[in-house]
Amino acid sequence: MKKIYIKEEYCIGCRLCEIYCQVKHSKSKKILKAFREEQDIISRVLVEEIGHNSFAIQCRHCVDAPCVDACISGAMTKNENTGVVNCDENKCVGCWSCIMVCPYGVIKRDISAKRAASKCDFCEDEKIPVCVKNCPNEALKFSDTDDSDSNAENYTDADNNPGADSDNYNEVDAE
Amino acid sequence: MALKLRQSEFEIKRDEGKCIHCEVCVRQCSNDSHEFDEDAKIVSSDDANCVGCHRCEALCPTGAIKITAKEPEFKSNYNWSASHIKNIYKQADSGGVILTGMGSDKPHTIYWDHLLFNAAQVTNPSIDPLREPMEVKTFIGGKPDKVDIVKKDGNFKLKTKISPHLELSTPIMFSAMSYGSISLNACKSLASAAASFGTYYNTGEGGLHKDLYKYAENTIVQVASGRFGVDIDYLSRAAAIEIKIGQGAKPGIGGHLPGEKVTKDISSTRMIPEGTDAISPAPHHDIYSIEDLAQLIAALKEATDYTKPVGVKVSAVHNIAPIASGIVRAGADYIAIDGFRGGTGAAPQAIRDNVGIPIELALAAVDQRLREEGIRHRASIIVAGSVRSSSDVIKAIALGADAVYIGTAALIALGCHLCQKCYTGKCNWGIATQDPYLTKRLNPEIGSKRLAGLLRAWSLEIKEMLGGAGINAIESLRGNKEHIRGLDLNDRELKILGIKHAGEAW
Amino acid sequence: MKNVGISCSRNSDYVIIGNSAAGVAAAESIRKIDKKSKIIILTAEKYSNYSKPLITYFLSGKLDLEKIYFKDSGFYEKNDIDLRLDTRVLSIDPSGRTLVTDKNEVIAYYKLLIAGGGKPVIPEIKVIDCNGNTEALKNTICETGGIFTLTTLDDAINLKKYIDGNKIKEASILGGGLIGLKAAEAFLELGIKLNIIEFSGRVLSASFDKTASEIITSRIEETGSSILTNSTIDEIYTDESGRLFKYRLKNGKQLSCNLLVVAVGVFPDVSIIEGCAGKVKADKGIVVDQFMKTTADNIYAAGDVIKSFDMLTGENRSIAIWPLAVRQGVIAGKNMAGIPVSYSGGFFMNSVEILGIPVISMGLSNADGNEIEEIETFKVYNLQKRIYRKIVIRNNKVIGAILAGAIERAGIYVGLISNKIDISDIKDNIAKEDFGIIQLPEGYRKHLVVGDGIEV
Repeated sequence: MKKIYIKEEYCIGCRLCEIYCQVKHSKSKKILKAFREEQDIISRVLVEEIGHNSFAIQCRHCVDAPCVDACISGAMTKNENTGVVNCDENKCVGCWSCIMVCPYGVIKRDISAKRAASKCDFCEDEKIPVCVKNCPNEALKFSDTDDSDSNAENYTDADNNPGADSDNYNEVDAE
Repeated sequence: MALKLRQSEFEIKRDEGKCIHCEVCVRQCSNDSHEFDEDAKIVSSDDANCVGCHRCEALCPTGAIKITAKEPEFKSNYNWSASHIKNIYKQADSGGVILTGMGSDKPHTIYWDHLLFNAAQVTNPSIDPLREPMEVKTFIGGKPDKVDIVKKDGNFKLKTKISPHLELSTPIMFSAMSYGSISLNACKSLASAAASFGTYYNTGEGGLHKDLYKYAENTIVQVASGRFGVDIDYLSRAAAIEIKIGQGAKPGIGGHLPGEKVTKDISSTRMIPEGTDAISPAPHHDIYSIEDLAQLIAALKEATDYTKPVGVKVSAVHNIAPIASGIVRAGADYIAIDGFRGGTGAAPQAIRDNVGIPIELALAAVDQRLREEGIRHRASIIVAGSVRSSSDVIKAIALGADAVYIGTAALIALGCHLCQKCYTGKCNWGIATQDPYLTKRLNPEIGSKRLAGLLRAWSLEIKEMLGGAGINAIESLRGNKEHIRGLDLNDRELKILGIKHAGEAW
Repeated sequence: MKNVGISCSRNSDYVIIGNSAAGVAAAESIRKIDKKSKIIILTAEKYSNYSKPLITYFLSGKLDLEKIYFKDSGFYEKNDIDLRLDTRVLSIDPSGRTLVTDKNEVIAYYKLLIAGGGKPVIPEIKVIDCNGNTEALKNTICETGGIFTLTTLDDAINLKKYIDGNKIKEASILGGGLIGLKAAEAFLELGIKLNIIEFSGRVLSASFDKTASEIITSRIEETGSSILTNSTIDEIYTDESGRLFKYRLKNGKQLSCNLLVVAVGVFPDVSIIEGCAGKVKADKGIVVDQFMKTTADNIYAAGDVIKSFDMLTGENRSIAIWPLAVRQGVIAGKNMAGIPVSYSGGFFMNSVEILGIPVISMGLSNADGNEIEEIETFKVYNLQKRIYRKIVIRNNKVIGAILAGAIERAGIYVGLISNKIDISDIKDNIAKEDFGIIQLPEGYRKHLVVGDGIEV
């Protein structure tokens, strides 16, 4: 079961999560090409900010998702195995009922030719969602209880964190 | 008078081919060096306020920004350097004292870099730290003159009462940095890393914040001239108490935290009214002689039931050797000496760069004097003032230190880029600031891991070097000057350091 | 969740009447709990699965018949549901726990769900033929050419055939409420000019206030269509072929017309209780308790056919919308399968987009603020951009909202209404476009995002 945890006290309002979400959902998947050539790519994570408080929020993939209830076309479904609530953008007719009922307000309208509801899909072909991976301050944390490698609380970019607990020598190049 | 030249020290180079105008740099710069033009929808930069902290460069998702140091624009002049000229402009303009942050950056001799460590070859085999026990644990505190042992029930028992000690899993501790000069998140990172690694951190003169109570066992509290935050709970909670007489970066003068920085939280931690200036006077107004110091040490020990080591921190000044001797005779369990390159959150530049002596020379002199007087065992020596690497640590111990304090190195591990603008309170890395928008940037969970990582890496390197020299315990290295040779040092320096020159042998 | 594992000696265990939102949701809900028992769905429709709200998309050509389902073709097999099409229930014996279908079958049930939905309202209108004979529209609507209701897929298919076959360029819609406007949306997409006839003083008067109605009205009128308010049709005239060619409004005006869609409203179709030996009570909707159970043992009801608890008015009434039908179906299913779950009620909400202007309304949204004392309203209105946002507050709690043009994050208000959050500290910003969760009181905000084990 996948979950993203939000640590409001560590969000620095840089919005790198939004940028990487846009790159991930672009056609080219390359940051320069996406921002130069593609128009209006929708970020599925949303940074809310007031004064010095901020946090990034995306679809909570709720257990009893109200958007799944409200969807008139069957586009919004919950995968009982992964826990992911997925919007099939080909089935969606753009009635915006999901936007009407989502208490987090994390579904957006894609008003391009596609006309569909747009929301977080947990970056299904990535090990860690890109918003979590690229947050410079670990304000988002990801856990996947089905992945035996993941450590529930701290599954962020684990490769670069030399804690005091590892017993192996880490040899680092001198500058 | 139109003498305000645009004298920016840094240039912001933006690669237009890579910039995607995402505004991350705009949001992250507390000096407003980047701006988003709403009409043209592009980001542009202004060098004028750039302090060279590299925050924007570090966070730019496409690597489009490069911060480079600018060459000073004056005609080349060895005597009248650009910094002298600019300082005069500033002072003529403002009539004020020029402030700066962090440690002295002047090109004086770095003695660590002229010391070379030994290795074992043939006469004394190397030890492989991966295969054999290698002890870097050490203890801070006074050792008794002699030890009496009695036999009881067939077992040998220690009869002499040993004074309280700190147990360090590595001879490195975190130097005193007050809450107020650095953010609470930075304090939490230091405390948490000290606790997880088995060493200590120092509260500095800012008092002990309640969020740090859980790290009490790894906390050294300071009793500084302003006595901020000092009450019986403060003393009872701590693992050790340190009387701060001086600080390497600004020997002889006190400190000043402006009232506007004394927030509600700082006010309650320091136990002073909100919004009032927090002034640490130059002397402790109850310590005017060495006898007064002895009295304070005794009072602190009495108040804490003789359960904790009480140490004294001084700056490295010209007569540090007799001063240290006096401190040890006054009953201190340890003496911490802070060399002139030590860091600070704010100090007058003139004092930071011109007052005090290098820690390497101070250490050697103090160790030598205490041994000559036969009192070296009565107190541990801790040194600070720009310990930059594990090799500096090893050399410090070989010259006579029991342990080192690291300040600047710890902050660099947390992200500091040594831009020396701490006194503005606009630290973009969330370290030397109380602005809640900026302090969020230092996540103590990450900070703690990074500091622990630093300690771990240095400890491993120390073990390697010890093993390479055929030593298996750090305490065998302490004061063992035979393991050090000087390079490019004159006779006077070699004599003060008490070491031979490279090439000389027994 | 307990697996009830009931094995029943009867022919079937769960029988569900109705194959739309509530019925399908109940079946799926039961199957998640009870993997073994039989589930039968009986439907009068001949289509295996389609979404009623999607029929206007089919009408406008946006969706073709293959795409009109809301559960795909494998759904019934995967969930082991026995779907019986074209089957009507003639009578139910609550004490014997059996029912009789029009296929002459007797089906026994352990638990029964009535989810047959609603029927279109046919107002009292006289239909006058070319010979001067008068009939009530109620009785002749099926035979009269050119007059349609629009609640089932068959309606939409027939309507589409009629439009294509007669190359319709103009039409009339009786009813300026939700169904009328959804139909209007489809017609306008097809480029058909409309006369929309509305009984009250403005369109969508049940949920829109004057400003919101005005935004939609002016947009519709830009296309050349017209909206006749305070109007209704008194008489309809048919020609020799029995086809509509003219009608007369209450005010006497007569309009030629070859296509009229009657979209005045729907009401719960409770006709089924007539065959229930009086055991199932209904009063403009089947009466259920908070466990979705009717007054008869072992019989449940959900969806457009019931009267449900309106948490804003405190009364029971018919709120015939898709999300509530689904939720009621899920809860009815759980109760039927032995897991007692209480339904806390719902309130009206709707999302519609007319000619590029999306509008979301919810709760008690048509108050204008001046009428009742403890009601406050907060508005943001930008005439040029056609953005109108109004939040209705009573005793410092949100009870309704209209968002036109800028509908982003509308669901936050649904959350505030359902959870009855005190918003006294943040009233000033509540209607603004950038209103977000971060402004909510910290205790609620942390709780809101700490749903399902998510931490803030």
